[in-house]
Amino acid sequence: MSELNITDLSADLRSAIEHLESNKNLDEVGIVVRIGDGVAWIHGLRNAGYNEVLNIETPSGVIEAFALNLLEDEIGAVLLGDASEVKAGQTVRLKGTVLEVPIGPELLGRVVNPLGKAIDGGPAIKTKQFGLVEREAIGVMGRKSVHEPLMTGVMSIDAMFPIGRGQRELIIGDRQTGKTALAIDTMINQAKQNTGVVNVYVAIGQKFSKIARLVERLKAEGVMDQTIIVATSPSDPASLLYLAPYAGTAMGEYFRDNSQHALMIYDDLTKHAVAYRQMSLLLRRPPGREAYPGDVFYLHSRLLERSAKLSDALGGGSLTALPIIETQAGDISAYIPTNVISITDGQIFLETDLFYQGIRPAISAGLSVSRVGGAAQTSAIKSVSSHLKLGLSQFRELASFSQFGSDLDEATKKQIDRGQRLTELLKQHQYLPAAVWEQVVSIGAVTNGFFDTVPAPKIKAAQSALQTKLWADHKKDMQELDKGAKPSDDMNALIKKVALSVAKGFEG
Amino acid sequence: MPGRISRRRIAEYVATELIEAKTSQAKVLQQLAAFLVDTRRTTELTLIVRDIEFQLSQKGYTNATVTSAFDLTAATQKAIEAFVKDKTKAAHISLTTHVDPSVIGGVKVSLPGYEINQTIAHQLTALKTRFKKA
Repeated sequence: MSELNITDLSADLRSAIEHLESNKNLDEVGIVVRIGDGVAWIHGLRNAGYNEVLNIETPSGVIEAFALNLLEDEIGAVLLGDASEVKAGQTVRLKGTVLEVPIGPELLGRVVNPLGKAIDGGPAIKTKQFGLVEREAIGVMGRKSVHEPLMTGVMSIDAMFPIGRGQRELIIGDRQTGKTALAIDTMINQAKQNTGVVNVYVAIGQKFSKIARLVERLKAEGVMDQTIIVATSPSDPASLLYLAPYAGTAMGEYFRDNSQHALMIYDDLTKHAVAYRQMSLLLRRPPGREAYPGDVFYLHSRLLERSAKLSDALGGGSLTALPIIETQAGDISAYIPTNVISITDGQIFLETDLFYQGIRPAISAGLSVSRVGGAAQTSAIKSVSSHLKLGLSQFRELASFSQFGSDLDEATKKQIDRGQRLTELLKQHQYLPAAVWEQVVSIGAVTNGFFDTVPAPKIKAAQSALQTKLWADHKKDMQELDKGAKPSDDMNALIKKVALSVAKGFEG
Repeated sequence: MPGRISRRRIAEYVATELIEAKTSQAKVLQQLAAFLVDTRRTTELTLIVRDIEFQLSQKGYTNATVTSAFDLTAATQKAIEAFVKDKTKAAHISLTTHVDPSVIGGVKVSLPGYEINQTIAHQLTALKTRFKKA
C-alpha cells in the first residue's frame, strides 16, 4: 500500500460522507453461499454474465471475483483476492464490467501482477487506458501475412527456423534445457539491435527469485526499459496464474494496435494448463483426458490467436508469441504439448541429450520447424543458410559412421567434418545474441568452405577472430551488411578474403 | 431415476401455488417441507425461501427490508414504500424495518435479489477499497 497522505485521506472521507451517492438504481445483489479453495459459490445474481467481475463486500473492503460457472441455482466465481476475508452470507454485487487490466506505455520497465498492480516496489501505475483481458482475436481480413523478421540473435534459429513478426513459435523441451534462456536472449537482442520491439514476459507460476534474477539481467543488458513483466508465483491463487497470459496479451495488444511491434513470452503454458485444471476441478467441471477440462485446447488457442500481424489498414503492428511448454522425458506427443504444437506456427525443440553433450542452445534441427520460414528471413542470412540445414541433416545421417573414421571415403569424411564444424559454429553463449552481420559472416565462412582447414574444436575461436578483424578493418561494410540486404559480390569477396586469412592462423 | 429439481423450479412452483391460492398456504408449505425432507435437501431451505421471495416479487408481491441506524419516522417509511413501489411496480409491498447501529447512518433497502445501500458503512467500505487498491 502506498504512503497515505493524512490530509488527503481526511478530505476524501469528508467528501465521501457529504456526497453520499444518491444512487436511485437498484443494484442486483446475491449472497455468498459457501467459499473454499479460492472459489465462492453465490446465490442470486441472475443477470451475471460469463467472466463478469463480481464485488464481494467484506468488512475490510471489496474483494473481486469473476464468474466462471453460471448454473441455474448458483454462480461459481473465482476469487481474485485474499479468500480468508470472504465469508458465507456476505453480499455480492455485479461490477458491471468484465475483467480489464491497465494498458499503455506506463507499464514499460515495470513488474506487475495479472491485475496490473505493481509488485516491484515502485510507485503505483496509473494508465490512461484499460484493456479487456479476454478479447476476440483479429479477423481474417484484419491480418497480413508474416513477412518481417523478428531477429532472436540465436544463430540456429535465425538461420534455420526464422521467426517473423506476428508468428507463434513454440519453445518446447524438458526442464533445464535452455527454454527460458532462448526467450531471454531474444528479448536482449531487441534492445541490442534497436528493433523497437516491446517485450512482454509473462511468468506463470515462476519463483520470484528467478524473476528477480531476470529483472537484474534485463536491467544490466539495458532491456528493461522496453519490457513489461507480468509475474505470478507458485504461491499465487490459481485464478491469477490462469489470468496472467491473457492480461499480458492485453498489454501487448496495446502496442500492436498502435502500429508498434510487441513480443509475448509465456513461461510456461504447461503451468498455465495445470492452474486451469485446478480451477476447473474446483468448479466441479467434468474432467477429461489427464483430468484436464474439455476446453483446455480452447484455453491456449484463444490466447495464441491474438498474436498476429495486422494489415496496413489497421496500422501494420504485430504481436509475436513465444509460448514455452515443458515436456516430461522428451515426450512431445503428450496431451498439452500436442495441443500447443497444433496451434503454433512452428516449434523449437530442445533436447536434453544435446544439452549435456555441450551443444547449447540444444536445438534439435531434425524436430524443429518454422512454418513461416524464408518469408520472414533477412536476405543476408537467407543467402548463407541454405546449405546449413542440408549440411546438418547430412551430418546427422552420417554421425553414427564417424567412429569408423579411417574406413570412410573422402566425400563422407568431408561431410562429417563439415557437420562437426557447423555444430560447433552454432554453439552460442547465453546473453550474447549475434547481430545480422555476425551471423552472415560466421555461417558463410563455414558453409562456403573458407574454414575447411580449421579443426572443429577451433571453430569458435576462428569465428571470434573473423568477426573482430572484420569489425576492426571494415566497420562500414559490416554496418551495411547488418541492414540485412543480400550481400553483393564485392562483399562476398571481402568476407572470403578475410576468412581465408583468419583460417590460416587456426589450421590444425 | 428422476433428475434433481433445481431450487429455481421449486421456487417457481411454490410461488405460483401461493398466488393462485388453489391450495391453502399451509398445505403448500407443508408439501414443500415434506419434499425437502424426502429429498434430503433441508439444508437448502434458506436459499429456497430466498428464491420464493424473488419469484413472488416478480409476480408483484414484494417483501422489502429497510435497515437503518435509528428508528424511521412513519413519513420516512411511507416515502420508502412509495419509492419501492415506483421501482418494482409491485402491487403488494410488505415493509419490514430493522435497526442496526453498525450502518452508522443512511438507509439500506433490501428487496429480493436487489438492494439500494446508502448507508455510511457502505460508503466507508468503498473508501477502504479505493485506498487499498492505491
